Amino acid sequence: MTTETKDCFTIDGKLALPYQYFAGSTGSRFIISLREEKKITGLKCNKCNKVFVPPRSTCEVCFEDISDNWVELPNTGTVTGFTIVRYEEPHQPLKPPYITALVKLDGADTPFAHIVKGIPFSKMKTGLRVEAVFAKKTTATIMDIDHFRPVTQRPGFELGYTYDQLEEGMSASFTKTISETDVYLFAGISGDFNPMHLNEEFAKATPLGTRIAHGALPQSLIAPVLGMKLPGLGTIALEVTTRFKAPTYFGDTITATGEIVEKLPERRWVRMALTFTNQHNKLVAEGSALVMPPVPMDKE
Amino acid sequence: MTRNVSICAMAQIKNQPAIWQHRFQGMLIDCFESIMEQTNVTFDMDKGIRNVVTCSDDVFDARTISDAAVTDVVGAHFRGEEKVAQDGISALGYAMACILSGHDDLILVMGHCKESQSESRNMCTNLAFDPFYSRPLGLDYLNAAALQARAYMEETGLTDEHLANIVVRSRKNGARTRHARDNEQLSVREVMESPLLADPIRKMHNYPVTDWAVGFLLCCDERAHEFTDNPVRLTGFGSCMDSYFLGDRELVSNFALKKACARAYAMAGITDPAKELDLVELSDACAYQLPLWAEGTGITGKARGPAWMEAGGMDKHHVNLSGGMLNGNPLMLGGLARAAYGFTQLQGKAGTNQVTGLRKALAHGTTGAAGQHHAVLILEK
Repeated sequence: MTTETKDCFTIDGKLALPYQYFAGSTGSRFIISLREEKKITGLKCNKCNKVFVPPRSTCEVCFEDISDNWVELPNTGTVTGFTIVRYEEPHQPLKPPYITALVKLDGADTPFAHIVKGIPFSKMKTGLRVEAVFAKKTTATIMDIDHFRPVTQRPGFELGYTYDQLEEGMSASFTKTISETDVYLFAGISGDFNPMHLNEEFAKATPLGTRIAHGALPQSLIAPVLGMKLPGLGTIALEVTTRFKAPTYFGDTITATGEIVEKLPERRWVRMALTFTNQHNKLVAEGSALVMPPVPMDKE
Repeated sequence: MTRNVSICAMAQIKNQPAIWQHRFQGMLIDCFESIMEQTNVTFDMDKGIRNVVTCSDDVFDARTISDAAVTDVVGAHFRGEEKVAQDGISALGYAMACILSGHDDLILVMGHCKESQSESRNMCTNLAFDPFYSRPLGLDYLNAAALQARAYMEETGLTDEHLANIVVRSRKNGARTRHARDNEQLSVREVMESPLLADPIRKMHNYPVTDWAVGFLLCCDERAHEFTDNPVRLTGFGSCMDSYFLGDRELVSNFALKKACARAYAMAGITDPAKELDLVELSDACAYQLPLWAEGTGITGKARGPAWMEAGGMDKHHVNLSGGMLNGNPLMLGGLARAAYGFTQLQGKAGTNQVTGLRKALAHGTTGAAGQHHAVLILEK
């Protein structure tokens, strides 16, 4: 047999056949729950109690028709097996390397295959607890579950309100009495040793007749509100503006209040109205803040 | 009615990475003509071949009804032809049934697969997954096997080094087997340093892309002497299909293989496979499958694979002396390659790897992701 390549021809073909595949009434119901309610559902055999995910209309063991015996399953489950796909080919859903795992949802008996993200490969293990992350946009396929990720280990502190949890009208405040010590420390912090704040005899000669606190001192009391109360831990302040309305005297008790006045959906930021009042309910300053509320901490 | 069936002749071409110079029809013709020459069998409708069973795959052949493309070159025109679209060992089981039932005296079994035709074998096997729940996730036989491999290693303690030893041994045995794919010899270290494809499966743990074709002439015992003086009897066959979805199965339970073996052993009168089988040929597309399938056949116990290997079980039970599928046979033909080697051994023509005093051999084939379907054939001298 000759192995001469001259005058040998090959046909470069590609099988690409558009087709439609009916998911079946069972598969369709599974997808509708996923698409409309972000709920994963299974079918349960009442005879052997096995819960099938993906759902099957008939129990293969008992031959029972179980097509109406839907059960709703939680979004959490356990990895029963996995691999790290490292070869790259066109049929893959994402660029390797990535984790393909078998995930058994809590309450289901049959694990099903999906992608796991959000964990270093070296820490991936059978038995890992995971939760479903739903796709931002539905495609009405199994990819409405975008992937699974490790169930978030709650840190020792609670993050503040996320953008989605915040509503206009929510408010929080922080109260503190301003002492001579506070003013003197603030002078040191800012370098502002103006005798107006520190020297009573000098202050007596001014129109106010006594020492007053630095304007930025009561203003700074909004920081614990934004960063620790509303929205809370994880907030990034982007802009704080204040207009001083009245002086703060030594011994005054100042309340700094922030209120959500506008949600900016495009950037997922919020605008807050700020007020600073003293013990007589007199407004000493007012202003506004623009902040980025906390986002979940897992890095993706 | 009791009837027996034998393989009278087998013909194959060499397993090769890419038989670019031959169409798959041409690959089959070489086998077909060899069988004609060996046996002088005819296509006479009374005394000759009246029925042909073929094995091929639509996706690898890039055409539907793939058998229609080869009916002329396997002598199937103007007579019966039926295609098996799973591992070809089922074609031998089907041919046995045709003869044992008295429906036919002679059956020609022809199988081909040219894996090199497709750009990616994994893209082909991705199509074996349902388009709704599994295919969009990129599942294919390789990453499904990786899920099974990890499960088996976690259960038994099988190590990366065990796997490397299986590969090294496969290459050695392959080099001594006529018609086996020519592969580089490897050291344990080279296997262990080969890149991971899908953890824990490394590149060298996975069978290489291969093209091959084979043919068998099966005949009822009473007429076998017309075609050969060295027939090999087929005394048992069994198959079993496990659940479709990976998650529905216990991946390392060998459920389907055990059932297939039980049926084949019952038919062949085998009660103690570890003692009675002199040769075991397993379709190990990936290295981890050799000890896993060995457990399934009963030549070693559940979860005993690694210990069995360490005790020299692979050589003691003459497992995959051909090099196994791991040395290179195309998908769909793993079982036919096992049967072809069993036949060669039982005929006493296996060269330097010939087992002496050989009486009973097992050939195994599997189809589907991570061994959904298993079929087992018992061959006897």
